[in-house]
Amino acid sequence: MTIITTKKPFEEILGAIKDFKKITIVSCNSCAAMCQTGGEEGAKEMAEKLEGQGFSVVSVIVPEEVCDNRVMLKDFRKIDEDLNNTDAILTLSCGLGVASIINTLEKNHPNIPVFIGTNTEFMGMTERIGRFYMRCRGCGDCLLNETGGICPITTCAKSLMNGPCGGMVKGKCEVGNYERDCGWVLIYERLKQLGRLDLFSKLRDPVDWSESGHQREVVWR
Amino acid sequence: MAEKKVFSKLGEVLAKGEFVLTGELEPEKTCDLSHLVQEAKEMAPYVVAANVTDSPLGIVTINSLAACAIVQRDAGLECIWQLTVRDVNKLGIAGMIMGAEALGIHNVLSLTGDHPNMGDMPESKPVFDLDSATLVKLVREMVDTGSINKKEIEHPPKLHVGGAANPNSDPMEAEALKIGRKAEAGAEFIQTQVVYDLDKTIEFLQAIQKYKVPVLLGLFPMKSYAIAKGFDMFVPGVDVPKDILAKWKGIKTDITDKKDQNEAYDQANYDFFKPFVTELKAKKLLAGVHCMAVHYPRIFPRLVEVIKG
Repeated sequence: MTIITTKKPFEEILGAIKDFKKITIVSCNSCAAMCQTGGEEGAKEMAEKLEGQGFSVVSVIVPEEVCDNRVMLKDFRKIDEDLNNTDAILTLSCGLGVASIINTLEKNHPNIPVFIGTNTEFMGMTERIGRFYMRCRGCGDCLLNETGGICPITTCAKSLMNGPCGGMVKGKCEVGNYERDCGWVLIYERLKQLGRLDLFSKLRDPVDWSESGHQREVVWR
Repeated sequence: MAEKKVFSKLGEVLAKGEFVLTGELEPEKTCDLSHLVQEAKEMAPYVVAANVTDSPLGIVTINSLAACAIVQRDAGLECIWQLTVRDVNKLGIAGMIMGAEALGIHNVLSLTGDHPNMGDMPESKPVFDLDSATLVKLVREMVDTGSINKKEIEHPPKLHVGGAANPNSDPMEAEALKIGRKAEAGAEFIQTQVVYDLDKTIEFLQAIQKYKVPVLLGLFPMKSYAIAKGFDMFVPGVDVPKDILAKWKGIKTDITDKKDQNEAYDQANYDFFKPFVTELKAKKLLAGVHCMAVHYPRIFPRLVEVIKG
C-alpha cells in the first residue's frame, strides 16, 4: 500500500513559505519516494529550486517514513542544531508527514511552522511506478466480503450502497464522460463470475455515519 | 392482508388497477412558476398526476418540493415529487418528507440524481447519503410505522413512493436485480426511463414482473425533429431509432405550414407509440404510461388515444 502524492505547483509552495528565509526540507523515503514527489531526488530538486529563489536551505533529511513519530524523533535528534536555525520546514511527504513532524517537534521546536510540498491523493494500489489506483477509502466498515472484493464506496462515483444507478451506460459511469467503469457493474460481473448473485440482490442499508468520519483512532495499548 | 392505504389519486388508480397516465413538469431556472403552472393546467384534464423534476442533469432549478406545492395549489394538478438523494443527507431528507406532508404532497419518486459533475454547479458536494432504494425504505418506514429511527412522528407523512427503472440498461440483469431491491424496500410503483426498443423493453419488463410492482412506461413523444435529434444526441444510453429520426426529419423538410407540421408530428408520435403500448398492454406488462414530453402538452389527447383499448 502506498499513500499516493503528487507535487504541488511550485508557485503555490513559494506563496506558502514566502515569509521565511531559512528552510529545512524533510523528504519522505517511503511512499513519496515511490511517487517521485519525495525521496533523495525530490529533496535535491526542491533544494535547488528553493536556493534558486533565494532561500537558504539549512538542512535536508530523507527519513524512511515521515509518518512514523519514532523515526522522526530519531532523525530530528541528528539535526537539532539546524532546527535551531530553521525558520520553516517544508516536507515532501503525504499529509500524515506534517502531523507527524508537528507531533515530534512539539517539545523542542514547537514554533517552527511546517509546510507541505505535495497533495495527498489517496491510499493506492500500485500497478507499476506511475500507475496508482484508489481501490479502498479506509471507511472503517469493510464490505468487500459481500461485494466480490470490489468496493462500492470507492469504485462507485456516488458511493452508493445499492447500485448501479441510472448514470450507468453500457457498464460505464456518467462521471468522467463514460470512460470509467461503473463500480456496481464491476461488482455485478464479479459476483456473477463467483456464482454469488444472491449477494448482488441484497438490499443494503445506508452507511452508518454515527461511528465514523471524525478524527478516527485505533488505540489498543 | 390489510387493505392498502390510499393517500392520493395516483395511489387510488393504482390500487384499483386502472391504467394510469402521468405527465412531467420540468421547472426552468426561474423562481416564477407561471409557465409551469400553465403547462400543468393544459395537461391536467388528461393525466392523473405529473412528476416535478429535481434539478435534472445536475442543473440547478427551483426546489422540486416547492414547485410541487405551487403546481398543486395553482393548477390543481396532483404532483409526483421527484426527490434525488444527490443534494441532501438522510436527516435533511426525512425533514423534507415531513414538509411534503405539510404541503399536501402525497406521491414521491425516489431517484439517485445525476452527479453534480454533470451539471452547472460541479463544485457542489455530492451527498448520496442514501440511495434510490434506501430512500424508498425511509419513506415506507415513516409512512407505515409513523416513526423514524423508532421515534414517533406526531402527525406522520402519508406518501406513496415509487422508483425508477431503465429498460435500456446494459447489463440488463444488474438493473433488474436492483429493481428487486427497490421492490423489497417497498416501492409502490415504477416509472421507467424513456424507451424506443420494444424487444428490449419486453425482455426487461418480463424480468422484473416477479417483483409485482406496477410499471408506468416512460415515453417521450417528440415535438419536433430538433427535439428528437437532441434527445438522441444528448441523453446517454437512449437511442432514438434511425427510422424515427428520418421520419421526423421528413416532416420538418417536407411540410412548411406550421400547423400542418405540428399535426404531422402528433400523428407520427401516435403511429409509433400506439402499437408499442398496445403490445405491452396485451402482454400485461404495464400499469400505465408516464409521458416525459415536457413543453408538449398538446400531445396529451393523442396519448389518451394511445393508451385506450
